[in-house]
Amino acid sequence: MDLANGRVGVIDLGSREVSEQELSEEVIVKEFSCVKVAETLVSEHGNDSLILGTGLLTGSLVPAACAGMVRGRPGEDGTQRISPLLGFAGTELKLTGFDFIVIKGSASEPSYLWIRDGIIELVASPGLRGADAWARTDKIRADQGDRRIQVISTGAWGDAKNPCSQYVVNYWGGEDKHGLGSDLGAKNLVAIAFRGMGELSVADSDTHFVNASRVLKEHRARLGESKGLESYSAVAGREDFRSLLHRNLACFACPFPCRSYLKLFEDPKQMAHEHKEPGYLHYDVPALAKAFSIGLSAREATEAMMLCAREGAEPVAVLSNAHSHGMGGVDGIRKVLVDSPRMSHPASSEYIGSFQQESAFLECIGRGLCPRYWAKAGLQLPSPDL
Amino acid sequence: MSSSIILHIEDKANYFGLVLKTKSEGLVLGRPEGSAPGQAGTPSGGPGAKPILLREPCDLCGGETKCAKICPSGCITVVD
Repeated sequence: MDLANGRVGVIDLGSREVSEQELSEEVIVKEFSCVKVAETLVSEHGNDSLILGTGLLTGSLVPAACAGMVRGRPGEDGTQRISPLLGFAGTELKLTGFDFIVIKGSASEPSYLWIRDGIIELVASPGLRGADAWARTDKIRADQGDRRIQVISTGAWGDAKNPCSQYVVNYWGGEDKHGLGSDLGAKNLVAIAFRGMGELSVADSDTHFVNASRVLKEHRARLGESKGLESYSAVAGREDFRSLLHRNLACFACPFPCRSYLKLFEDPKQMAHEHKEPGYLHYDVPALAKAFSIGLSAREATEAMMLCAREGAEPVAVLSNAHSHGMGGVDGIRKVLVDSPRMSHPASSEYIGSFQQESAFLECIGRGLCPRYWAKAGLQLPSPDL
Repeated sequence: MSSSIILHIEDKANYFGLVLKTKSEGLVLGRPEGSAPGQAGTPSGGPGAKPILLREPCDLCGGETKCAKICPSGCITVVD
């Protein structure tokens, strides 16, 4: 099958039973949306299934074809809870040999899923319950012996099924504004780890290469050089933010990166790293906007977002809560994170600039494209013959 | 299509470089601060390095260097 594996991996955490089901080319091409295919899988496997998926173009040479998706149980009001998987996670997931992973039920003890080479394994890991997201990523990569493993995890907030949790991809947060970290907690999963060593076939690789190169060249000529997150949002244009900037970096196949890495604990102008945890990767626009609106400096905002990522807590909600209780600065954030109050999500207007609020979010994610990039580039969605 | 080039990644800093398998020098690691031999105990080692060790060295695609052409950020260029 071209540009897809044609396979869905299904695991029932309760019985530990793993199965596979075929995904026909007809379904993939006809729907041309992993969001729609996920709806079909939900109707088959149940509404409480947690679904990871990739689009037809994920991992292709099309610019910013980096996106996968995570679909949680719909909200009580029926709202869809779908968040993107960006960076290298979407592509890596597709190269595991599965286009979709369906996770049913709940594990009997804290465990993580380990997915690679067409294999899904449930690994008991009670010691990781309560560990922060960064420690989970480090531990799983060390135990499985590969630093390229992509890890979706959460921290204490997700474990406690806090509605204002988030999932973290490796070390960074910003994709999940639906509290999907709590879905991991509800399934007693401390993480989902995957490594893609597979390959994708393309029906006419030369034509795909030529067409993708043409689109890329046109986009690069039009967009110019990215200034990182500042090129997507004015919140990252502040001088104190710029003064900490180490570099900008891109997700898979993205020619106009939105990710800005800020160094806190060593000289941002020093290219090499010596500190083990030198800083944080910013791409969470609403969280940064919220931090600045309550008076945090770029350094404080970065530290706050590091803390939230480690605990698997959604930073807009945490910052709002700290501010509403008159707790200022990073110490106030720490207190909220420790107290872990149950709270409802801030208003949707607080999430302007998030991936979910980009136009045509579901259309982009469905195809495997980054919605932030394609909103910037101008949404002339590539046709399947790319 | 095959490839003689892979990403080099360092933990937590999310710090990227490239590892190229060359005919003359074996694996070469290119990072923002400069190039170095790519095999000596770097994070490019381990299971993740296996695919590139098995691949053919770079032949510049017979003159049309596809990695440079499709490189989204323009960080791969061909020099004489």
